[in-house]
Amino acid sequence: MDDRLIIETSNLTKHYDSFEALRGLDLHVPAGSICGFLGRNGAGKTTTIKILLGMNQPTSGVARVFGSTPDAEVRRRIGFVSEEKELYGYMTVEDMIRFTSPFFPKWRRDLEQRYLRKFDLPLQRKVKQLSRGMRTKLSLLLALCRGAELLILDEPTSGLDPAIAEEVLQAIVGHVANEEMTVFFSSHQIAEIEQIADRVVILDRGRKVIDGAIDELREKYCRVNAVIENGQAGAPVLHSPNVVRVTRKGRVLSILSRGGADDVVAEATELGATNIEVVPVTLKEIFLETVNAEE
Amino acid sequence: MLWYKSWLETRWRFLIGIALLVCSAGASVLTWPQVQRLTPMLTSMAATQFHGAIGEKVREAAAFARTFRGYVWSNWFNQNCVHSVTLFAILLGVAGIVSESGGALFTLSLPVSRKRLLGVRAGAGLSELFVLAVAPSLVIPLLAPSVGESFPLASVLVYGVCTFVVASMFFMFALLLSTVFGDPWRPLLMAVGVAIAFGTVETIIRLQAPAFGVFRVMSGETWFRAGQLPWIGLLGCAAVSAIFYFVAASNLERRDF
Repeated sequence: MDDRLIIETSNLTKHYDSFEALRGLDLHVPAGSICGFLGRNGAGKTTTIKILLGMNQPTSGVARVFGSTPDAEVRRRIGFVSEEKELYGYMTVEDMIRFTSPFFPKWRRDLEQRYLRKFDLPLQRKVKQLSRGMRTKLSLLLALCRGAELLILDEPTSGLDPAIAEEVLQAIVGHVANEEMTVFFSSHQIAEIEQIADRVVILDRGRKVIDGAIDELREKYCRVNAVIENGQAGAPVLHSPNVVRVTRKGRVLSILSRGGADDVVAEATELGATNIEVVPVTLKEIFLETVNAEE
Repeated sequence: MLWYKSWLETRWRFLIGIALLVCSAGASVLTWPQVQRLTPMLTSMAATQFHGAIGEKVREAAAFARTFRGYVWSNWFNQNCVHSVTLFAILLGVAGIVSESGGALFTLSLPVSRKRLLGVRAGAGLSELFVLAVAPSLVIPLLAPSVGESFPLASVLVYGVCTFVVASMFFMFALLLSTVFGDPWRPLLMAVGVAIAFGTVETIIRLQAPAFGVFRVMSGETWFRAGQLPWIGLLGCAAVSAIFYFVAASNLERRDF
């Protein structure tokens, strides 16, 4: 991974009439990273991706890919798989490949042959006759063989059964391991992000709530569990700036911290809490607690 | 490759159009002997039984039917060809990237500008429309000897060009509507509605102001009657087509997908 930013957005907003799909999104994806773009349905993931590909115009703010405003030349360097895996139903698999390859001077014939074999795609079958899994594999082949420097995948495994989803993910991981490229992929499946990403951006209702390397997030975030006296009503207010969310079940207090545990433990001790323990958290917990805290 | 895609998307509309128009043009020629037999009866009926505007129309039709050239122009170039080519121009113009049932995002992810996407779509459609406007009429000089007549090839080409230029305006109008609406049906219905409205208004004003009307330009009436091309009408339609195209390009450029 180097310091160059492949994707960069600044204060990006997008309104659809009165609906705010994106609210001041700042995104920085360094070269060589595999960045998972996590968020619930309707969080603004697809809107962001469409802006990065020049399919939608932002209401305000700036989006840059390879340092430029997204245009045809930028798209020449991008491989893309859409959520719906939309392709031309009236073309055969062979037609689709023959149609797509001339647009990309760096088209990889070797990869084309390899993925045709690996995915077992029937060349003469029409796209409309392919199953969703097959269509996803064809979409992936058409994206991976472009010789792209950036791969943008919008929910690549949505609607697939677990076996095919795993096959698709393994193909992505295997491809990225052999090629120098940056991957930006959206998902609402946390397990997928954990499996293949080294960075994650979590989006909630159009706003970025978390951005960073997954390992750093796991180090930075922790949960502090403590037992408090029965007499206190509700969850106590903690003033540490690292506190993300405090929940209470009976006498057990659970605090998610985003900057180490020391000051949270000290504050809990001052409140008279006992049996204080610090435990690591999963990405799923970070996601769910952060999103719930935002609400 | 975009040309190939446009061809695949419109080929059935085009091929069905060609087949129907060729059959219709051929039928116009082959019915000439029956028309010749009926013309004297029509002429006598027009003189005695029809009066006013209707009588005028019947007498005009009977007059056209006295010669093969008049009959072909009246029956084919002024009616069947004009109406059918207008319909197929609209059919070729509707749909496109905005209403693509599958693949719109894939197309937009290609390293191609939207202007080029529209340009290729328009270019492919206009090429097909040119063939639709000119090629079926070539059947007329080919089949005319079979009914003991002849028809000048030059006239076929002149009528074909007139038909093409005016039909291009309807094609571009449908193309423009297709950049506004996300389904193919509204552009189709609206463009057909506008064509019918034009035709109706033209039929009404023809009696008062016979020099005006796009379908009059489309049928090459001035060429038939006076051997003159309707330059002003043709240039006007071409200019309107260009305006429709630029508005469509500007619409598409601004559109979110």
